[in-house]
This record gives sequence, structure tokens and C-alpha cells, in this order.
Amino acid sequence: MSLDKLGSSLRSALRKIIGAPLVDEVLVKEVVKDIQRALITSDVNVKLVMDLSKKIEKRALEEKLPAGLSKREHVIKIVYDELVKFVGEKPSELRISKDGFKIMMIGIEGSGKTTSIAKLARFFQRKGYKPVLICADVHRLGAYEQLQQLAAQLNVPFHGNLNSTDAVKIVEESLSKIEKKNLVIIDTAGRHKSETELMDEMKKLAEVAQLNEKLLTIDATIGQQAGVQAKAFHEAIGITGVVLTKLDGAAKGGGALSAVATTGVPIKFIGVGEKIDEFELFDPQSFISRLLGMGDLKALLEKAEELPKEIKEVDVTKFLAGKFTLQDLYSQFEAMQKMGPLKKILQMVPGFGLSAELPEDFYKLSEEKLKKFRVILDSMTDKELESPEIINRSRMQRIARGSGTKMEDIKELLKQYQIAKRLFKSLRKGRFPALDKALRQMGLKKFK
Amino acid sequence: MFNSLKEKLAQFTKKIAEVADKKSEAEVAAVKPTLVEKTKALFKGEIILDEKDLTPVFDDLETSLLESDVALPVIEEIVKSIKMQLVGKKIKRNENLPTYVQGVLKNAIQQVLISAKPEEILNRIKKRDPARPFVIMFVGINGTGKTVTIAKFAKFLQDHGIKSVMAASDTFRAGAIEQLEKHGKNLGIRVIKHEPGADPAAVAFDAIEHAKARKLDVVLIDTAGRMQTDVNLMEEMKKIHRVTKPDLVIFVGDSLTGHDMIMQSKEFNDATEIDGVILTKMDSDARGGSALSISYVIKKPILFLGIGQKYEDLIAFNQKWMANRLLGEANVAG
Repeated sequence: MSLDKLGSSLRSALRKIIGAPLVDEVLVKEVVKDIQRALITSDVNVKLVMDLSKKIEKRALEEKLPAGLSKREHVIKIVYDELVKFVGEKPSELRISKDGFKIMMIGIEGSGKTTSIAKLARFFQRKGYKPVLICADVHRLGAYEQLQQLAAQLNVPFHGNLNSTDAVKIVEESLSKIEKKNLVIIDTAGRHKSETELMDEMKKLAEVAQLNEKLLTIDATIGQQAGVQAKAFHEAIGITGVVLTKLDGAAKGGGALSAVATTGVPIKFIGVGEKIDEFELFDPQSFISRLLGMGDLKALLEKAEELPKEIKEVDVTKFLAGKFTLQDLYSQFEAMQKMGPLKKILQMVPGFGLSAELPEDFYKLSEEKLKKFRVILDSMTDKELESPEIINRSRMQRIARGSGTKMEDIKELLKQYQIAKRLFKSLRKGRFPALDKALRQMGLKKFK
Repeated sequence: MFNSLKEKLAQFTKKIAEVADKKSEAEVAAVKPTLVEKTKALFKGEIILDEKDLTPVFDDLETSLLESDVALPVIEEIVKSIKMQLVGKKIKRNENLPTYVQGVLKNAIQQVLISAKPEEILNRIKKRDPARPFVIMFVGINGTGKTVTIAKFAKFLQDHGIKSVMAASDTFRAGAIEQLEKHGKNLGIRVIKHEPGADPAAVAFDAIEHAKARKLDVVLIDTAGRMQTDVNLMEEMKKIHRVTKPDLVIFVGDSLTGHDMIMQSKEFNDATEIDGVILTKMDSDARGGSALSISYVIKKPILFLGIGQKYEDLIAFNQKWMANRLLGEANVAG
């Protein structure tokens, strides 16, 4: 995944919250400091980092605890909320009109405009559009040939004029030749805010072309200057979206995030590789979730909110204290079938993915196997179900005979039981009320 | 970050002060100048610097270095070593503390930033084995400006009466060969090329053979941009290096780069030892802190800075100028 480095340092900051016996002011401040460091070394603008971290600290220390969340979960949620806000809350997709749509790609020299245009063209091609490319980069040598070759590879029409140095005129002339209802993508020369003539040229291009989208490419390796540069582009022509490029490197992309925070313009696409298909739509929430290693906190919280307000207090303590019987295991298997995969639910829990790793086969139980397990459990005595540790070899042989299964099946069931028991032991009660709720919802409450 | 760092350091100094109250002066002297010492120094018109005096100054400096794109680990190392030099030092009372510390820091930065005079390269080219051309390979990630930098470099050589040939070894990026060819045409310099997708090492090899045959002085090899994380492409670069045995490997870096510069310069240096650096896009308002990060990581000279679109927009690197820029000229007196 992209932005791994930022992600892993943010995750280790959050891990502190999960691992700490008590979430107090000292811990919050320490975690906030870790987050600051993670963001700064990811090239997020220094001032923005200060603002963001102050906000997180203030909220974490002062906000009233919402019902149903522990302090632990609340702090994690605040970090998540603020980071999502930082990258622009809603995912924004390009809404393309079939009756003509014009996109212009702008950006600093070498930020990846032309390559991104090819990727964008491919992206729309796959959605059934027929993009047309115009080269309005009359400055960089080889720019025309580059786009021409890419257009040929994609098999899309290409317009431009190698003998002209008037980008505005090229765009005018090309547009007059292209049918109105087409999806047009215009490539421009790289420029930066200090190149006033080029910035003026860009303004004229924007006026002439009557654009629907003005996309700014930002190189994920860019540092502190990203915000200032993006602002200059935004003030000049009003950019409508950001394409974040070169995310396949070790780059931290914080510069781009700062650009977004400075201009308020959302990231729309990310480029994640050399190949033409390595291009994705950007969704801030899932991006931050993945970044923080928290699956989908939002979905979990929604799920928890859907639960009836008055849930009878049930004894989940038992599981969380590690008193977990084979009966409980079985009900969990059943619940998994009813409620969807356990793994998914567990991944929604903030920090869960950080604190416990489960073997893959734990989640992958086929229906057939579940049936087998049920039969095995039916052949056990109550005593065995309550205290599985008494199941010795001779008991196992008896159970196998009684249920018509093999010794290995019984051993496997007992292994699953041990894994689950360890898992629940690792989650001490009260730390994750949202998880408790989820577990109850999964049907575990049946067994007291 | 620095607020809490400030707090921590403030707490640290406070703690030491508490300890100082309890323990004898002699024991504490090693950690912190004692009151007696301080008073003595004061009579002599001197101040003894302690952690507390320095912290706010360093916090400001750290922030301004960060804002100039110097990587945090590099800043921390530099600041740590300077702090060690300063704590317990006597300075004249009439000297302004921030100015004094900045002066020390500026010196330290200038020491990290290594430069090499362009004449040194010219001399090396002149003194080469006459049987073989001087081979220079340009490497870097995508979009840093390798191709235009090579053209500028060729112009620089041309201006000094050195004949070169350029090898279009970026056979990957669309339009890259045409781009170099056009520069060659503008400058009157031959470009050796194969088809797109051809083996870059073979192109470079041919260029060297061409230079041998025509008795040209220098072969300039353009390579495709590659992310340092791409193992295959890094291997390909090593192969070009093995085949061409360059006399000089020049890393072309974008001066707008942030913390990634540490990894970029390290990985490229590990793959093919870098001999020098050219930083591009310095005209874009970049503070160029990446220069400090690179120098710190690979300890190799920065040769030139790219400052514009024209062929002559390549200037020799100057440490003093860069140190001023990094610390923010307004911050630095003298």
C-alpha cells in the first residue's frame, strides 16, 4: 500500500494508546507528539502539523466521552476524524458528462502530468468513454512526441502542433476540430509559481478551453513547498482536483496532503506505479483507515449505533477473562455464518488489527467443517464442553467413534478453541466496548 | 512537536536545577554550569550557555530547517552535535545569543554541504586516459530533470572546449529519445540512440564506441527515471553501470523534494556509487533543504544547481549561499 511509512509510524503511535494501561493526559500528549513526528517526516507542512496536533490534543483532553466508547477508542476516533478532515472528508469522483467534458492537467515540471494523462485516458476508456488528447506543452522538448506515443499506445485521437509555440492557439484550433461531445484531456507544460509568463499562459489556456476540470498533479516526493505551489496554481485558475503521483516510491505524500489542506481542493486520483493501469480513485476515509490500520472504524461505529440502546447486560466478561468454552466457540462459528466473517468485524475494531494477529485458517472454516464440528460437539459430554482440557486420548477416541469423525478433526477443533481462547484473553474487558457490543451482536451473548 | 520538546527540555533543566539545589556544586558542574561559575563569568562579561538558554533558539532553528525541507533525522543529528559543543561554553555578554548560535549552526551546515568546483571536473576530464572517453552517467527518480540537465551539462562542457556525445539510454519513457535528440540538435551535439524499449546499456556502450572512434572527450548517459523502491529498475541501472564503467555518476535530484531525499540518495548511492549531485528546479522558490539531507547521507559534493529552463541556467553550487537560504536569510546575521 502507498504511504506505508507514514502509516506504520501513525500505527505505532496508536498502538501506544491500545497498549497503555491508562489513557491519561501524559499519554495523549506523548501520542500527539508521535503523530507530529510521523506527519513531519512525511513532509506535511510544519505549520499544518502544529495546527492539526493541537486540535487532536485539545479534543482528546477536553471532549466529553461519547456513550458506548472507551477513552481509548475515543482518542483513536479523534485522530481518525481529524486526519480524515485533513485530507478532505468526502471522496470526490469526477462526474463526467457524456455531452462533452474538458479536463486540463497542470503542475510543476516533472510532477508527472503527461504520464497521468495517459493513465486518466485509460481510466475513462475502461469506463466506456472515448478520450481525445491535446498537447499544449510547447516548451519542453519531446513533450509532443511523448503524448503522441502514449496516445498511439492507447489508440486515442491526438491533437497538437509541433511547429507552433502558441499553446493557447493550439488548444483553440484543436478544440475546433474535436466534436463537442468528446472527453478532451489537455496536457500543459510544467511550470512553477515563480515563472510568471507560464502562469499567465496557463490562465489564458483555462479561459479559452472552458474547462470542466482543472487537475493539478503533485509529486508525492515534494516537501514543504507543496502548499505554496498548489496555492499559486489554485489562485491563478481555481483547480478542481489533485492527482497525486509517484506514490509507488517510498514517498510520504505529506506534501500533497498539505496542498489539499491549504487549498481545500480534494485529491481525486493517485498514481501508484509505472504502468498505465496503476492509477486509482482516491477516497479519503478508506485511505486514512488503511493508513491507520483500522479497517473501517466508520462502519463499525455505525453498526454499534444500530444496536438497540438497551442491551441486557450479558456476561462477556467470561470470554474476555479467557473463560471460554467449546460451547462458546461453537456459537461463534454459527454467528460467523449468520453475521458475516469474523475477520471483517474484528478489522473494524479500532486498533484490533494492531494488537492481535490471528492465523488465516482461523477465519477460513468451510460449512462442511462447521457441520463436522457440530457433530463432534454433540458427541461430547457436558463436562467436556465446559472444561475441554479434560479431553484426553481415550475421550477423543470415544468422541470420534460417536460422531463418526477422525481424531484429526477433533484435534483441529481443539486447536481452534485454543486460538480463540487466547484471542479473547488478549482483549481485557472494558478496553473495547465497541468490540464487546459487536461480539454480543454476533450471538455470543446467548452463552452466559 | 517543538512545543512539547520545549516543555520536555524545560522540565529536564528544571529537574537538573532541583538536583543542583540538593547536591554539592562540584557534582553538578559536569551537567550544568553552577551559579558560582555563572556569576564569575558574569563579572568577566561572559555568559555560560546551558541547555535552557539554547533550547528556544534551537527550536526556532529546527522549525526553520524543517520548513526548508531538511529531513528531520538530519536536523536532529546536526543540532545534537552542535548542542554538545555549545553547552557549557562561555560567550561574551554583549553578543546576542540567537545570532551567536545561528553563526555556529551556519558553520556546521556549511561543513556538511560539500561542494566541488566545476574546474575539478574539467581537470579530471582533461587528465583522463586518452584511449577512453570520460563517461558520465546521470541517474535519479522520475521527473527530476535529468534530460534537460544533461543538455545543460553538455553546454557547460562545450563552453570549455570539451566535445561530448549523448547516449539516449532512457529507452522507457515515451518521447525521451526525441527529447534528447532535440537538445542535441540545438547544441550541435550527437545523440546515440536505439529504438524505444532497447537495452539501455547497449545504447550507452555504442555511445562510448562512437566517442572512441571520433576521439570525443566525454560520453553523457541519460537514463530513465526510476523510483528507488523499484528493484528491477535499480538492477537495470546497475547493469548500465557495469557495462559502461562511468568515471562519474551524477545524481540529479529535485530541490523541491522533502524527506524522501534521504531514501533516494541512499538507495541510488548503494546501487551505483554517486560521485556528485545536481539539484534542479532551484528557481521554483525551493529552499533546497534536500541538499543538506543528501550531503549528510552520501557525503558527496553538490556540483551544480539548475535554476531555469535555458541551457545556461546551471550554476556552480555555493555552500555559503545555501546555508543562508536554509536558515532563512532574515534569520541569519552575517
